[in-house]
Amino acid sequence: MFGNTEAVTVEMSRLALDAASLRHQAIAHNIANVNTPGFAPVRVDFERQMETVRAALRDGAPVDGTMLAGVRPVLMRAAPAQDTDRTALLDLEVADMAQNTVQYEALMKALGKHLAILGAAVNEGKR
Amino acid sequence: MDYRNAFAISASGMTVEKLRLDTTAVNLANVHSTRGADGKPFQPLSVKIGEAGASFATGFEQLAGAARLRGARVVQIEPTNVAPRRVYEPGNPDADEQGFVALPGVNQVTEMVNMASALRAYEANVTAMNAAKTMALKALELGGGQ
Repeated sequence: MFGNTEAVTVEMSRLALDAASLRHQAIAHNIANVNTPGFAPVRVDFERQMETVRAALRDGAPVDGTMLAGVRPVLMRAAPAQDTDRTALLDLEVADMAQNTVQYEALMKALGKHLAILGAAVNEGKR
Repeated sequence: MDYRNAFAISASGMTVEKLRLDTTAVNLANVHSTRGADGKPFQPLSVKIGEAGASFATGFEQLAGAARLRGARVVQIEPTNVAPRRVYEPGNPDADEQGFVALPGVNQVTEMVNMASALRAYEANVTAMNAAKTMALKALELGGGQ
Protein backbone atom coordinates (compact mmCIF):
# COMPACT_ATOMS: atom_id res chain seq x y z
CA MET A 1 0.00 0.00 0.00
CA PHE A 2 2.65 2.45 1.05
CA GLY A 3 4.86 1.60 -1.91
CA ASN A 4 1.97 2.27 -4.24
CA THR A 5 1.10 5.64 -2.69
CA GLU A 6 4.75 6.58 -2.68
CA ALA A 7 5.12 5.91 -6.40
CA VAL A 8 1.90 7.71 -7.29
CA THR A 9 2.67 10.80 -5.18
CA VAL A 10 6.15 11.25 -6.56
CA GLU A 11 4.96 10.55 -10.10
CA MET A 12 2.11 13.06 -9.83
CA SER A 13 4.41 15.71 -8.38
CA ARG A 14 6.86 15.10 -11.20
CA LEU A 15 4.16 15.43 -13.85
CA ALA A 16 2.72 18.57 -12.27
CA LEU A 17 6.18 20.14 -11.99
CA ASP A 18 6.86 19.30 -15.63
CA ALA A 19 3.55 20.93 -16.53
CA ALA A 20 4.32 24.08 -14.52
CA SER A 21 7.78 24.28 -16.07
CA LEU A 22 6.42 23.88 -19.58
CA ARG A 23 3.68 26.39 -18.84
CA HIS A 24 6.27 28.92 -17.75
CA GLN A 25 8.07 28.52 -21.07
CA ALA A 26 4.79 28.84 -22.97
CA ILE A 27 3.94 32.05 -21.06
CA ALA A 28 7.45 33.44 -21.66
CA HIS A 29 6.99 32.65 -25.35
CA ASN A 30 3.64 34.46 -25.40
CA ILE A 31 5.12 37.49 -23.64
CA ALA A 32 8.09 37.58 -26.03
CA ASN A 33 5.61 37.60 -28.92
CA VAL A 34 3.23 40.18 -27.50
CA ASN A 35 3.98 42.56 -30.40
CA THR A 36 4.08 39.92 -33.13
CA PRO A 37 1.27 40.51 -35.64
CA GLY A 38 -1.13 37.57 -36.02
CA PHE A 39 0.48 35.59 -33.19
CA ALA A 40 -1.55 32.74 -31.71
CA PRO A 41 -0.77 32.21 -27.98
CA VAL A 42 0.58 28.82 -26.84
CA ARG A 43 -1.18 27.06 -23.98
CA VAL A 44 -0.40 23.94 -21.93
CA ASP A 45 -2.97 21.20 -21.57
CA PHE A 46 -2.48 19.12 -18.43
CA GLU A 47 -5.10 19.43 -15.67
CA ARG A 48 -7.85 18.20 -17.99
CA GLN A 49 -6.01 14.88 -18.31
CA MET A 50 -6.12 14.26 -14.55
CA GLU A 51 -9.92 13.77 -14.60
CA THR A 52 -9.61 9.98 -14.05
CA VAL A 53 -7.55 10.56 -10.91
CA ARG A 54 -9.96 13.22 -9.62
CA ALA A 55 -12.93 10.90 -10.21
CA ALA A 56 -11.20 8.10 -8.29
CA LEU A 57 -10.44 10.42 -5.38
CA ARG A 58 -14.05 11.67 -5.32
CA ASP A 59 -15.29 8.09 -5.02
CA GLY A 60 -12.75 7.30 -2.34
CA ALA A 61 -11.06 4.72 -4.56
CA PRO A 62 -7.28 4.27 -4.37
CA VAL A 63 -5.28 6.04 -7.04
CA ASP A 64 -3.43 3.60 -9.21
CA GLY A 65 -0.21 4.29 -11.06
CA THR A 66 -1.82 3.02 -14.25
CA MET A 67 -4.21 6.00 -14.16
CA LEU A 68 -1.24 8.24 -14.85
CA ALA A 69 -0.17 6.33 -17.93
CA GLY A 70 -0.38 8.59 -20.94
CA VAL A 71 -0.81 11.73 -18.82
CA ARG A 72 1.68 14.33 -19.94
CA PRO A 73 1.69 18.08 -20.40
CA VAL A 74 1.22 19.05 -24.05
CA LEU A 75 1.51 22.34 -25.87
CA MET A 76 -1.41 23.58 -27.90
CA ARG A 77 -2.27 26.64 -29.92
CA ALA A 78 -5.07 28.96 -28.90
CA ALA A 79 -6.96 31.03 -31.43
CA PRO A 80 -4.97 34.00 -32.76
CA ALA A 81 -5.39 37.11 -30.64
CA GLN A 82 -7.13 40.04 -32.26
CA ASP A 83 -4.89 43.01 -32.93
CA THR A 84 -7.00 45.12 -30.61
CA ASP A 85 -6.42 43.14 -27.42
CA ARG A 86 -2.61 43.05 -27.34
CA THR A 87 -2.41 44.76 -23.97
CA ALA A 88 -5.07 42.43 -22.61
CA LEU A 89 -2.89 39.50 -23.70
CA LEU A 90 0.11 40.93 -21.86
CA ASP A 91 -1.90 41.47 -18.66
CA LEU A 92 -3.34 37.96 -18.75
CA GLU A 93 0.03 36.35 -19.41
CA VAL A 94 1.73 38.19 -16.56
CA ALA A 95 -1.11 37.20 -14.21
CA ASP A 96 -0.88 33.58 -15.38
CA MET A 97 2.85 33.66 -14.84
CA ALA A 98 2.52 34.87 -11.24
CA GLN A 99 -0.01 32.13 -10.53
CA ASN A 100 2.16 29.50 -12.21
CA THR A 101 5.22 30.50 -10.19
CA VAL A 102 3.30 30.13 -6.93
CA GLN A 103 1.95 26.78 -8.14
CA TYR A 104 5.48 25.58 -8.92
CA GLU A 105 6.75 26.63 -5.50
CA ALA A 106 3.80 24.95 -3.78
CA LEU A 107 4.51 21.72 -5.67
CA MET A 108 8.18 21.91 -4.71
CA LYS A 109 7.19 22.37 -1.08
CA ALA A 110 4.77 19.44 -1.24
CA LEU A 111 7.39 17.17 -2.79
CA GLY A 112 9.92 18.32 -0.21
CA LYS A 113 7.54 17.46 2.63
CA HIS A 114 6.82 14.08 1.12
CA LEU A 115 10.53 13.30 0.91
CA ALA A 116 10.94 14.50 4.51
CA ILE A 117 8.32 11.95 5.60
CA LEU A 118 10.31 9.26 3.85
CA GLY A 119 13.41 10.57 5.56
CA ALA A 120 11.68 10.26 8.94
CA ALA A 121 10.85 6.64 8.13
CA VAL A 122 14.45 5.95 7.15
CA ASN A 123 15.64 7.45 10.46
CA GLU A 124 13.12 5.27 12.39
CA GLY A 125 11.31 8.41 13.53
CA LYS A 126 14.36 9.93 15.14
CA ARG A 127 15.19 13.52 14.37
CA MET B 1 12.71 22.29 -16.13
CA ASP B 2 14.94 23.52 -18.88
CA TYR B 3 15.87 26.90 -17.44
CA ARG B 4 18.17 27.77 -20.30
CA ASN B 5 15.26 27.65 -22.72
CA ALA B 6 13.07 29.78 -20.44
CA PHE B 7 15.86 32.35 -20.20
CA ALA B 8 16.52 32.19 -23.95
CA ILE B 9 12.85 32.83 -24.73
CA SER B 10 12.72 35.90 -22.47
CA ALA B 11 16.04 37.11 -23.84
CA SER B 12 14.72 36.90 -27.40
CA GLY B 13 11.72 39.00 -26.36
CA MET B 14 14.01 41.57 -24.74
CA THR B 15 16.19 41.73 -27.87
CA VAL B 16 13.15 42.41 -30.03
CA GLU B 17 11.76 45.11 -27.75
CA LYS B 18 15.19 46.74 -27.42
CA LEU B 19 15.42 46.94 -31.20
CA ARG B 20 11.96 48.53 -31.38
CA LEU B 21 13.14 51.09 -28.84
CA ASP B 22 16.31 51.73 -30.89
CA THR B 23 14.26 52.16 -34.06
CA THR B 24 12.00 54.67 -32.33
CA ALA B 25 15.07 56.56 -31.17
CA VAL B 26 16.48 56.61 -34.72
CA ASN B 27 13.18 57.91 -36.11
CA LEU B 28 12.95 60.64 -33.49
CA ALA B 29 16.61 61.61 -33.91
CA ASN B 30 16.03 62.05 -37.65
CA VAL B 31 12.86 64.07 -37.38
CA HIS B 32 14.60 67.04 -39.02
CA SER B 33 17.03 65.19 -41.31
CA THR B 34 16.63 66.64 -44.77
CA ARG B 35 19.28 64.45 -46.33
CA GLY B 36 19.81 60.73 -45.71
CA ALA B 37 22.87 58.67 -46.57
CA ASP B 38 21.66 58.33 -50.17
CA GLY B 39 20.93 62.04 -50.57
CA LYS B 40 17.15 61.54 -50.31
CA PRO B 41 15.13 62.51 -47.22
CA PHE B 42 15.27 60.01 -44.36
CA GLN B 43 12.46 57.43 -44.39
CA PRO B 44 11.02 56.46 -40.95
CA LEU B 45 11.88 52.85 -40.08
CA SER B 46 9.59 50.17 -38.75
CA VAL B 47 10.44 46.76 -37.29
CA LYS B 48 8.74 43.60 -38.51
CA ILE B 49 8.54 41.01 -35.74
CA GLY B 50 7.82 37.32 -36.16
CA GLU B 51 7.52 34.28 -33.95
CA ALA B 52 10.75 32.29 -33.77
CA GLY B 53 10.78 28.52 -34.27
CA ALA B 54 7.08 28.49 -35.02
CA SER B 55 7.23 25.32 -37.03
CA PHE B 56 4.73 23.21 -35.16
CA ALA B 57 1.26 22.92 -36.55
CA THR B 58 -2.00 23.83 -34.86
CA GLY B 59 -3.00 21.15 -32.37
CA PHE B 60 -1.09 19.08 -29.89
CA GLU B 61 2.59 18.70 -29.43
CA GLN B 62 4.41 16.41 -27.06
CA LEU B 63 6.52 17.66 -24.16
CA ALA B 64 9.64 17.29 -26.30
CA GLY B 65 8.21 20.10 -28.39
CA ALA B 66 9.12 22.61 -25.66
CA ALA B 67 12.48 23.03 -27.36
CA ARG B 68 10.58 24.58 -30.25
CA LEU B 69 9.40 27.47 -28.11
CA ARG B 70 11.96 30.07 -29.12
CA GLY B 71 10.25 33.37 -28.40
CA ALA B 72 10.27 36.18 -30.93
CA ARG B 73 12.66 37.32 -33.63
CA VAL B 74 13.15 40.37 -35.81
CA VAL B 75 12.14 39.61 -39.37
CA GLN B 76 13.22 42.88 -40.93
CA ILE B 77 13.74 46.57 -40.35
CA GLU B 78 12.16 48.32 -43.27
CA PRO B 79 11.62 51.94 -44.25
CA THR B 80 7.97 52.98 -44.16
CA ASN B 81 6.46 54.61 -47.19
CA VAL B 82 5.31 57.80 -45.50
CA ALA B 83 5.14 60.93 -47.64
CA PRO B 84 7.60 63.61 -46.47
CA ARG B 85 6.35 66.79 -44.84
CA ARG B 86 7.00 69.84 -47.02
CA VAL B 87 8.02 72.95 -45.14
CA TYR B 88 8.58 76.37 -46.71
CA GLU B 89 12.17 77.33 -45.90
CA PRO B 90 13.79 79.08 -48.88
CA GLY B 91 17.15 79.62 -47.16
CA ASN B 92 17.76 75.91 -46.61
CA PRO B 93 20.40 74.39 -48.92
CA ASP B 94 18.09 71.38 -49.43
CA ALA B 95 15.14 73.52 -50.54
CA ASP B 96 13.69 72.94 -54.01
CA GLU B 97 12.94 75.62 -56.62
CA GLN B 98 9.77 76.76 -54.83
CA GLY B 99 11.65 77.04 -51.54
CA PHE B 100 10.13 73.92 -49.93
CA VAL B 101 12.20 71.47 -47.86
CA ALA B 102 11.12 67.80 -47.60
CA LEU B 103 11.28 66.67 -43.97
CA PRO B 104 10.79 62.98 -43.01
CA GLY B 105 7.18 62.06 -42.24
CA VAL B 106 7.98 60.95 -38.70
CA ASN B 107 4.83 60.93 -36.62
CA GLN B 108 6.04 61.85 -33.16
CA VAL B 109 2.86 60.66 -31.43
CA THR B 110 3.13 57.21 -33.03
CA GLU B 111 6.80 57.05 -32.08
CA MET B 112 6.06 57.91 -28.45
CA VAL B 113 3.30 55.29 -28.30
CA ASN B 114 5.66 52.70 -29.80
CA MET B 115 8.28 53.63 -27.25
CA ALA B 116 5.86 53.21 -24.34
CA SER B 117 4.60 49.85 -25.62
CA ALA B 118 8.16 48.57 -26.24
CA LEU B 119 9.12 49.62 -22.71
CA ARG B 120 6.16 47.80 -21.15
CA ALA B 121 6.80 44.66 -23.18
CA TYR B 122 10.48 44.76 -22.23
CA GLU B 123 9.55 44.97 -18.55
CA ALA B 124 7.18 42.00 -18.93
CA ASN B 125 10.02 39.95 -20.41
CA VAL B 126 12.28 40.88 -17.51
CA THR B 127 9.53 39.81 -15.10
CA ALA B 128 9.26 36.46 -16.89
CA MET B 129 12.99 35.95 -16.61
CA ASN B 130 12.93 36.76 -12.90
CA ALA B 131 10.08 34.29 -12.39
CA ALA B 132 12.12 31.57 -14.11
CA LYS B 133 15.01 32.36 -11.79
CA THR B 134 12.76 32.17 -8.71
CA MET B 135 11.47 28.78 -9.83
CA ALA B 136 14.96 27.47 -10.54
CA LEU B 137 16.21 28.55 -7.11
CA LYS B 138 13.15 26.97 -5.47
CA ALA B 139 13.95 23.68 -7.17
CA LEU B 140 17.45 23.82 -5.69
CA GLU B 141 15.94 23.84 -2.20
CA LEU B 142 14.34 20.43 -2.76
CA GLY B 143 15.53 17.89 -0.22
CA GLY B 144 17.44 20.41 1.83
CA GLY B 145 16.33 20.31 5.50
CA GLN B 146 12.66 20.67 6.41
